[in-house]
Amino acid sequence: MPIVEARGLTKVFRRPDKGPGLAGAVRHLFARRFTDKVAVDHVDLSIEAGEAVAYVGPNGAGKSTTVKLLSGILVPTAGDVRIDGLHPQRDRTTVAHRIGVLFGQRTQLWWDLPVSESLAVLRDIYGVDHATYRKRMARFDEVLELGEILPVVGRKLSLGQRMRADLAAALVHGPQVVYLDEPTIGLDLAVKDRVREFFRSIRDEGTTVMLTSHDLADIEGFCRRLVIIDQGRIIFDGDLEAVKDKFARERILHVETAAPVPLETLRTSLPGAKVEAEDTPTRYAVRFDRFAMTAGQAVTTLAGLTELVDFRVDEPSIEDVIRRVYSGELVLG
Amino acid sequence: MRTVRLYLRLLGAHFRSLLEYEADFVILVVATVLMQVVNIVFLAALFAKVPALNGWTFWSVLMMFGAVALAEGVGSLFFDGMWSLAWQINRGELDYFLVRPYPVALQSSSAKIGVNGLSNIVMGIIMIGTGLAHVDIAWTPWRVLLGALLLISSVVIKLSINLATNAVSFWLSSPTPLFAFAMHQVGDLARFPLSIYPIALKAALGAVLPFAFISFFPVAYLLDTGQSRWIGLLTPLVAAYCAVAAAVIFKRGMRRYESAGN
Ligand SMILES: Nc1ncnc2c1ncn2[C@@H]1O[C@H](COP(=O)(O)OP(=O)(O)OP(=O)(O)O)[C@@H](O)[C@H]1O
Ligand SMILES: [Mg+2]
Repeated sequence: MPIVEARGLTKVFRRPDKGPGLAGAVRHLFARRFTDKVAVDHVDLSIEAGEAVAYVGPNGAGKSTTVKLLSGILVPTAGDVRIDGLHPQRDRTTVAHRIGVLFGQRTQLWWDLPVSESLAVLRDIYGVDHATYRKRMARFDEVLELGEILPVVGRKLSLGQRMRADLAAALVHGPQVVYLDEPTIGLDLAVKDRVREFFRSIRDEGTTVMLTSHDLADIEGFCRRLVIIDQGRIIFDGDLEAVKDKFARERILHVETAAPVPLETLRTSLPGAKVEAEDTPTRYAVRFDRFAMTAGQAVTTLAGLTELVDFRVDEPSIEDVIRRVYSGELVLG
Repeated sequence: MRTVRLYLRLLGAHFRSLLEYEADFVILVVATVLMQVVNIVFLAALFAKVPALNGWTFWSVLMMFGAVALAEGVGSLFFDGMWSLAWQINRGELDYFLVRPYPVALQSSSAKIGVNGLSNIVMGIIMIGTGLAHVDIAWTPWRVLLGALLLISSVVIKLSINLATNAVSFWLSSPTPLFAFAMHQVGDLARFPLSIYPIALKAALGAVLPFAFISFFPVAYLLDTGQSRWIGLLTPLVAAYCAVAAAVIFKRGMRRYESAGN
């Protein structure tokens, strides 16, 4: 049985249509008019225990709203959600023990309490025994380096410190399912690396993770499954590597030769590849399909023609693929 | 029981940080003591001119002032976060409350400590005590027990009204609890004997938002003053009714919660 299951999940927000200023507000009192905003539109999703799912989509696509629906924060307009077979509103307390939620934009730490105290309060709310808590904290500390921030009061934390503390807070109770909504937003590179390592460690322990991020580097090497949402609808749900194999198969070989070579010569020697001149007369870009030719073959062929000074191979990341999906240039099937 | 223990744990954490980080702690306490003193001076000045209000002496009205101050004090010292509910709803701060295994209303109300509540409580007890010392009641164990029950009920009613009126914020979109605050002001009227008010106001304070059960009816019963004293005996029932109603309103409201876009 899937641990997270959503069927026909829909959320419509009603926004009051107010005219500008006071006049608009008063008019609204008498003639209430609303526009409906469908934030999540008939989403079907089922996640098996232990899966790591990337949930991506452009701004305003409905990612955070989905996470709120899946954690029982919002009541769906239509459709329903089951967490481990339980109803998130009806069985709120039981579900709360099984899920962990992190909204990168917002902290759950108490602003007036030191981090250590916020975490201890959460420990008591979840009823985690002290020994387990100590063990968990020691482990979090290894990767997240919490030590220095424990005595700091919530409101005085820097963004990176806050995020590390919030990650610990979302996982104090060892939840089976974790929703991470933009958990690396605003972090510097070193902290990002540390946080990503932390994600891998919880995944490897068997925690089910749903990760939302605009930084697709968070996803590569972490999630096997990719779900793309756009305008509230799921437009792709499938294997991440398969997408890369299918849509990110182009490689670009940049070469620099000792002396200029006519483009035609290069083109005829590399049929099936596209060769273009670059900014200087001795630089060329060779585009090829990695299933039709290997980078090694391309380099060997070119080296037989002329003396190579330098070369580099670029491979498109999942980011390029997804950018093309967002722009409508690419439709994943 | 676990719920209560956890509640005190939450408040305790905030209280410790308050002592540690807030310099204005003492100022707040002094300010509210001063406010209560002003109240009493006003009352004394009033009774210097008029010896009794509809049969109510200075001491009995002092007890009513005390009951209101005590209930209000408990509300701010232990449940001040309720007054932040409108703000919490508006900012989407209930998101995390909703995914924790603890009642949402209690997470909201424990978010803050109103230190001024401390002086309200102390002054409230002093006012009730002084009042009691100056009226003659034939104390029996039964009466003492009943008095305690009435007092607890009175506090429960005030807390329930606070919760219910603040929960109205789930329907209004304002980030400030204007409605709850207006109702709180209305509640101040309950410091005077209900009998001095016109009938419409009597109905409002007695039945719609039963502020009169915080002070007037229980004190009237205890002191055997005024007509229809037996109504005071209903106070515990009214308290139970208010508590249930507030919980229902809060639950309904929670279903309307829409979080906030970032
Ligand atoms: N509380 C709310 N009230 C009204 N509209 C909302 C609310 N929350 C979200 N929306 C709207 O619903 C749509 C989806 O928002 P959501 O926050 O789920 O997007 P998202 O995919 O998380 O975007 P982002 O990448 O910018 O975080 C947006 O158009 C947003 O304006
Ligand atoms: Mg979002």
